[in-house]
Amino acid sequence: MAQPMDNVVDQIAQLNAARSLVLGDAAFYPQIVNGILPIVGASTRLELRRWGANFLAETFASPMLGVAQKEQLAPNVLQTIREILELPETDTAVLQSLVQTSASLYPLVFRHVVNHPQDSKSWETMSAIKQDILRRMDSFPCPVKLCCAKFIQRVVQVQTPGLISDPRRPEQNETSLAVVPRNHAVLSIPNLEAESSGLLDRLLGVFQEETSDPLLVNATLNCLAPLIRTRQSIANKIINAVLEFYPAKHVRPPFTPTVRVSVKSMERTARALLINILKKNPNHPLMGRMQVYIERLMQSRLEVTDDASRKRGLPNEPTDGLDNAKRARLNALPPPMLKIPPMAPGPASFDRLFTLTEDTGLSSFDVKQLPIDLVLKIVVPLLSQVQDSTLAQAVDAVRNRYQTITKDQNLQRQQQQRAAAQEEDDDYEPEYQPMDVASVVSEEASAVAAEVADLQPELVSLGPFVLPQPPPLTEEEAGEIGRSAVARVFGMLNAAETSPAPAKGQSQQKLGFARLAGSTFDRDAWSVLLARLATRAPAGLEIDQQAKGDAVRRQTTIADSIRETLYRFILEDFRGRLNIAIIWLNEEWYNDRIQMKSAANQRDGTEEDSEPTVPLNYDTWATRLLDGFLAYLDSRDIKVLVRFLSEVPEITIPITQRVASLAKDPERVNLCVQSLMYLVMFRPPAREMCLNTVEDVYQTYEESRPAAGKVLTKWRPQSTVLEPAASEAPESSETKPVASEP
Amino acid sequence: MAYDPRRTNSGTSTPQPPPPPPPPPETSTQADMASAAQALETSNPANTATDSYKLKFCTVCASNNNRSMEAHLQLSGAPTAFPVISFGTGSLVRLPGPSITQPNVYSFNTTSYNQMYEELSSKDERLYRSNGILNMLDRNRQLKWGPERFQDWVPGVPRVDHLSKGDKGAIGTEGGVVDVIITCEERCWDAVVDDLMNKGTSLNYPVHVFNVDIKDNHEEALTGGKAILDLANRLNEAAVAEHRVHGSEGWENGTGPARQSFDEKVPEILADWQERYPNLPALWTLAWL
Repeated sequence: MAQPMDNVVDQIAQLNAARSLVLGDAAFYPQIVNGILPIVGASTRLELRRWGANFLAETFASPMLGVAQKEQLAPNVLQTIREILELPETDTAVLQSLVQTSASLYPLVFRHVVNHPQDSKSWETMSAIKQDILRRMDSFPCPVKLCCAKFIQRVVQVQTPGLISDPRRPEQNETSLAVVPRNHAVLSIPNLEAESSGLLDRLLGVFQEETSDPLLVNATLNCLAPLIRTRQSIANKIINAVLEFYPAKHVRPPFTPTVRVSVKSMERTARALLINILKKNPNHPLMGRMQVYIERLMQSRLEVTDDASRKRGLPNEPTDGLDNAKRARLNALPPPMLKIPPMAPGPASFDRLFTLTEDTGLSSFDVKQLPIDLVLKIVVPLLSQVQDSTLAQAVDAVRNRYQTITKDQNLQRQQQQRAAAQEEDDDYEPEYQPMDVASVVSEEASAVAAEVADLQPELVSLGPFVLPQPPPLTEEEAGEIGRSAVARVFGMLNAAETSPAPAKGQSQQKLGFARLAGSTFDRDAWSVLLARLATRAPAGLEIDQQAKGDAVRRQTTIADSIRETLYRFILEDFRGRLNIAIIWLNEEWYNDRIQMKSAANQRDGTEEDSEPTVPLNYDTWATRLLDGFLAYLDSRDIKVLVRFLSEVPEITIPITQRVASLAKDPERVNLCVQSLMYLVMFRPPAREMCLNTVEDVYQTYEESRPAAGKVLTKWRPQSTVLEPAASEAPESSETKPVASEP
Repeated sequence: MAYDPRRTNSGTSTPQPPPPPPPPPETSTQADMASAAQALETSNPANTATDSYKLKFCTVCASNNNRSMEAHLQLSGAPTAFPVISFGTGSLVRLPGPSITQPNVYSFNTTSYNQMYEELSSKDERLYRSNGILNMLDRNRQLKWGPERFQDWVPGVPRVDHLSKGDKGAIGTEGGVVDVIITCEERCWDAVVDDLMNKGTSLNYPVHVFNVDIKDNHEEALTGGKAILDLANRLNEAAVAEHRVHGSEGWENGTGPARQSFDEKVPEILADWQERYPNLPALWTLAWL
C-alpha cells in the first residue's frame, strides 16, 4: 500500500507489455505467468491484484495455450488464488476474475489428478477453493455470484459421467466423471457424483425463487446448453426444471419498465435455450412439451406487457369514494359515432352505395389498381381491428341507403308500368336469369338488380355469358369418363367402410323404414348409389345397343362394368359385404320389374310388332354371385348363406340347384339341407321349389339322408322318395345329430 | 442487407459527405474519419492510464456492412473511443445488386471491403454511388479490413494482428473477448445467443447480449448507431462507477444504488434507454463466451 502511485503505473505498463508479448506468442505464457505471480499476489496493491486476476482468467481461458501447459501452470496459480481468496478478498473485479479462473482450472486440475493420483495436494487446494467459493457465493456481490453460477456449471459438467468416445485413447476423451478409474486414490466417484447432483439442484434452484433475479436466471439459462448436450444423465432433469419456469410468474408488481425488460429477457433466453436443444435433437422425447412451453411463453409475454401498459393508464385511487376503476374498464368507451354522409347524388351505383367517406380523393381511388394479394394483406388485418360497433354502424348505413333505393325504384317501376301499360314486356328477364348465379339472392334483390340494369344499362352492362359448347365426346371417351366416375364412388365406399360400425347400425335402426337411400353418407348409402347407377341410370339405353348389334355390344356397357366391379368388390370380402350384395340384387330385381312393366305398357300402347325386349339382370348376377362365394363357404357359414337366401328378392331354380350342389361335399351337407329347410319354413313362395330340391338332394347324396329325411318327413310326408329310405332314417339320425349344428 | 435501391438519395444521409471516390482512397481521409481517428489518437494516452476502464463492445448485423459497421464507427469514433469489433451472422455477405433478385454476394472473412468497393465501382459506379453502397464500403474500408462472420469467431483468440492492421476500435480488444455484444436485428440476436450456446461457454466469461432493432437502410443505421453509442455510454458509465466505488475510494463508502454493480444496473439502464428510444425495440440477456 505504501508504494507510490507512479510506481504502480509503471508496473502496470510493464505488465501490459508482458501481456502483449503472450498475446502475440502463446509460448511465453509459462514464463510470464510464473513471473507475475509474486507481483500480483495476495499482499499487493488492488490495481495489481485486479490486473493479475484478470490476466490469470484470460490465460486459463485462452484457446491458444495448450491444455498440457495449463495443467503445468495450475499448481502454482492455485496456491496464489487460494491465498488471495483467503485474504479475504473483497474487490468485486478481483473476485470475479478469480472465480472465472477457478472455473477454467477445475476441469484441468480434475484431469491432472485423475492421471496423477499421487498429487493430492493440488486436489486439496482446488477443493479448498471450491468450498470457499460455494460457501461465500450467496454473500458475494452480483457479478461474482454470476461467475459462481458458471463455476457450479463447470463442476457439474466435470463431475457427471460423459461420453467415452474412444476407450483406447483416454487422452482424447472429454474430462468428466467417466474418465475416473473406480479405484482412484483421491477421487471417490460416488462422493463426486453426489456433490455434483447437489450442486445441480443449487444451480437449478434459481428457477424456483419467488422473485427471480433476471441476471442469475439468464446467466444460468445460457450456460445450461452444454450440460444438456453433453450430459445425457441429467439433461431431462434440467429441461424439466426450465419447463416449470414461467418468468412472468416470478416477478412482482409494480411492472416497471425494468421489470418488463427483465421478464422479456428471461423469456427470450429460455426460448433460445429450448430452440437450441430442439435444433440439436429434433426428435427429442420432450419435444412436444418444449414446443408447448415456447408457445405459452410467447403468449404470456404479450399478456404481461399488455396488462402492464393498461394498468399504468388507470388512476390509482378512486376519485369519488367508489372504486370506479373496474367500472371504467367494464363500460367500454362508446364507439365514436360514424359520420354517414348522404349518398352521393347521381344515378345509384354500387360504388356510390358503399362509399361512406366524403373524401373525394379516397372515393375516386380505384382499388382494382392494387394487386389482389396486396389488398388481402391490407384488408384482413384491417378487418380484425375494426370495432364491431363501427362495422355495425357502417353496415346499417349501407342497408338504409339500399332500402331507400329499393323503395324509390319500386315506386318508379310501378309508375312506369302504369304508364307503359301492356306494351311493357320484361324482355330482360330471360336474359338476366342465367346470370343470377346464386339463388341465395332474394327475389327482391334480383328484381332491384334487374331494375338497376334496366335503368343504368351502362353501369351493369354484363350480358348473359354462355359457355362454349364442349366438343362432343366419343363413346369410348364417355365410357372412360363414366368408369372413372364409378371408380371414384368405389373409393368413397372404401373410405366409408372405415367409419365405425356401431354408429352405422344405430342410425339405421333409428331410421327404419323412413330411411332414404343415400341420405346418410355411410357405406350403405354409397352402395345404394352404385347399385342404382348400375341399374337405373342406363336402363333403356341397353335396348338400343342390343339393337345396334354386335359391333357395339363388344364393348362392355358402363352398367356392366359397374356390375362387374361391384361383383368383384363383394367377393373380395363376401361375409362383410353381404348386405351390399343384397342391396344390389334387390335393386336389380326391382329394376327388372320396372323395365318389364314399362315394356308391357309400350307394347300395349304401340300395338306394333317391334316387341321391345328387356335385358334381365337379376338372375344372371344372383347366380354369378352365389357361384362366386359358394366355393368359399365352409360348414359354419350357415348364417351367411341363410341370410343371402332369405334376403334376396327372388329364389329361382338355378339358385336352389346351386345350393343343392353344396351337398356334394360331405362336410357341407348340413349347410345345404339347413339352408333349404330355412327356405321351406320361412319362404312359402319358394317352398315347393325347395322341397323338390331337398328330394333331389336326398336321392343323390347318401350323406344327406338323415337330415334331408327329417325335413321331408315333416314337410312332405307323402313324398315318394321317402319310403325306401324310411327304415334307414332313424338309425343314421342317431349317428349324426343335426341339431347340434351351431 | 436490404437496401432499397429506390431511395436514391439515401446515400447523402450517411455520415460522411459523398465526394467522388478518390482514386487512391488511402491518401485522402474523409472528414469524419479524420476526426474519428483524431479522437482515437487523443484518447490513446488515456487508455493506458489505470483508471480509464472501458467496456469492450462487439456489434453484429446480418452482413457486417451497414448497421454493425455504422455502430462500429460510432463506438470507435466516440470521444471515449470504445474498444469494438464487429461481425455478421448471415451465411454470406449480401449487398443489393441491380435488382432484388441479383444481389452481390461475397464470402465472409476472405473478401475485403476494398475488393467489394473496387468490384462494384467497376461494375456500375453510377448505380452503386446513388444507392449509397460505394459510400458505405468506403467508410467500411477505413474502419477495418473486411466483414467477419460471428459464427466463425473464436472468442479468446488474440486479435493482435487487427491492431497492427490499424482496425478502428482494435485497441483494447487484443484479448479477443468483449463485455457487450449489440446486435441490430432480432434474428441476429437469436443467432448470437444460439451460437454462444453452441460454442460451449468454455471461457467462463460473462457477456451482455443486447439487441437494438434497426431497419436495414442508411438513415436508420445512422440513427441506430447513435442510439447504440448512447447505450454504450450509459453502460460504460455504470461500469466505470463500479470500478471506482469498489476501487481506491473503498467499497464501504458507497450506499444504496451506488453499491449496485454494473451487471445489476443493466436491466435498469436498458429500460431507461428504451423509454428514450421507443422506436428501437430492445432485447437483452446475459450469456457466456
